[in-house]
Amino acid sequence: MSRDGQSEAVALPRTPLTHEDLDRAQDRLRVYNARRRGRRWYLVWLLIGPGILAMLGENDGPSMISYTATGATYGLGTFLPFTLLTFAMAAVCQEMCMRVGAVTHRGYGKLVIERFGRLWGWFAAGDLILTNLVTLVAEFVAIRVGLRYFHIGAFASAALGVLLVAATMSGGRYWRWERAVLALAAFNGLFLIAALLTHPSAGAVGHALVTASPFPSGSLRTLLLLIASTIGATVTPWMIFFQQSASADKGLTPADLRHGRIDTIAGAVIAALFGIGAMVAGAALVHHGGGGLNGLSGLGFPGALRGVAGDAAGTLFALGLIEAGAVAVLTISASTGYAVSECLGAPHSMNDTVRGAAVFYGANLLAALLAAAVILIPGAPLLSISLNANVLATVLLPVSLVFLLLLANDRELMGRWANGPRLNVLTIAIVGFVSLSGAAYAVVSFLQVIHVL
Amino acid sequence: VSPVTGEPSDPDTRLELDQFVASTSRPVRRAQLGGWAQAGLWALRVAAVVLGAMVIYTFVYQLGH
Repeated sequence: MSRDGQSEAVALPRTPLTHEDLDRAQDRLRVYNARRRGRRWYLVWLLIGPGILAMLGENDGPSMISYTATGATYGLGTFLPFTLLTFAMAAVCQEMCMRVGAVTHRGYGKLVIERFGRLWGWFAAGDLILTNLVTLVAEFVAIRVGLRYFHIGAFASAALGVLLVAATMSGGRYWRWERAVLALAAFNGLFLIAALLTHPSAGAVGHALVTASPFPSGSLRTLLLLIASTIGATVTPWMIFFQQSASADKGLTPADLRHGRIDTIAGAVIAALFGIGAMVAGAALVHHGGGGLNGLSGLGFPGALRGVAGDAAGTLFALGLIEAGAVAVLTISASTGYAVSECLGAPHSMNDTVRGAAVFYGANLLAALLAAAVILIPGAPLLSISLNANVLATVLLPVSLVFLLLLANDRELMGRWANGPRLNVLTIAIVGFVSLSGAAYAVVSFLQVIHVL
Repeated sequence: VSPVTGEPSDPDTRLELDQFVASTSRPVRRAQLGGWAQAGLWALRVAAVVLGAMVIYTFVYQLGH
């Protein structure tokens, strides 16, 4: 396959169509007809999905808990515009994923293995599996905290997450899976409604956004933890795997790049709005012991919000946590399935049958089962798991970003859709910033723990 | 050929020819990385492993205290 060698592609012999080809062809035919008939909004509807899902999937349990913890610790200030900055960074990275997936029709893990060798591919998949498993535990934690508010126990939380994964995978169609998860993800907006119920001061929000002040004070380690955690709450390795693989699975082509960008940017804007909602809701707790809240040991943040802003705010926040955890369980376990099966060279499409892509569906379900098992352990340090899941993702992210940058610049693969120089400068700056933030927390906290600092 | 991108596509399925499973199953050519690029990737990998280990150690230490 070569984007510069079209004659090579034209000369391909016709081979028998697979189940996956036929399903994807149905979706592409709808896109073709919508484009031919000039149905612009229907075309947008058909082509959105991977970008919004990646962004709202990353507005997951630990991310929303991280935003809320930041708001509860520091109130409205520097972290508000900082969160917007991290979503802008996410949009830049995710646009590259979408573009590489649409142009090469291959997932991230598969391309890294084929282009750079098995060793690098498995390193990338290893990072992903580690961070995904930890993050999935945190997702189940979020579901558990949300359900606990309604007096429902840990076993029901674990069962709900696993059943959701099993149910959404049973359709054998990417399109159905994507629409089901998108519908569920719409409820991420509950965080924004919960924030409005705390009656935040518009002036304080505006002041924080414009001036990035007041600046946070207090423990350096807590500050570095929340910086790294906020980055890890927005840009993560699983999003890279997920959006590239999902774009290829959806059947996006270079003709769809403009809509892919709309999808990605819309996802970033919506997710930023809802993420800031969680932070604003958390800020309502800043004068009510917010910094010292162990948000997950008991009723946590939803219960604290009920005390400050009323039952409706607490209930919506709890429902939001259940949604955030559930959507992320679906998308993150899917990204695990994509990564494992791509690296093993096994079929990896939601358009394939369960029997045809057994490794893909099996890894998807196994990841969810393993994570569900952890939350059944009594006394697990749930808030700490959530924040450290994000930090671990931040520390491991630069390697994934560098390979993404190499792929997006690979003219043999990408042809005229390769990165331009300005985008490269921006991406390198993002890689540097993420690396420094992750390294700063890792080194300072480690030195403090071994009593050097 | 797709009128939008100029890419070759199949008129019956509207799939690009390099989008069929038969085509994506064939690996792309291996990239040739220079010595500096390899060294840079290894340095990044080692740094990620060391920093990841620090984060995990700190997390485990905090659990015990």
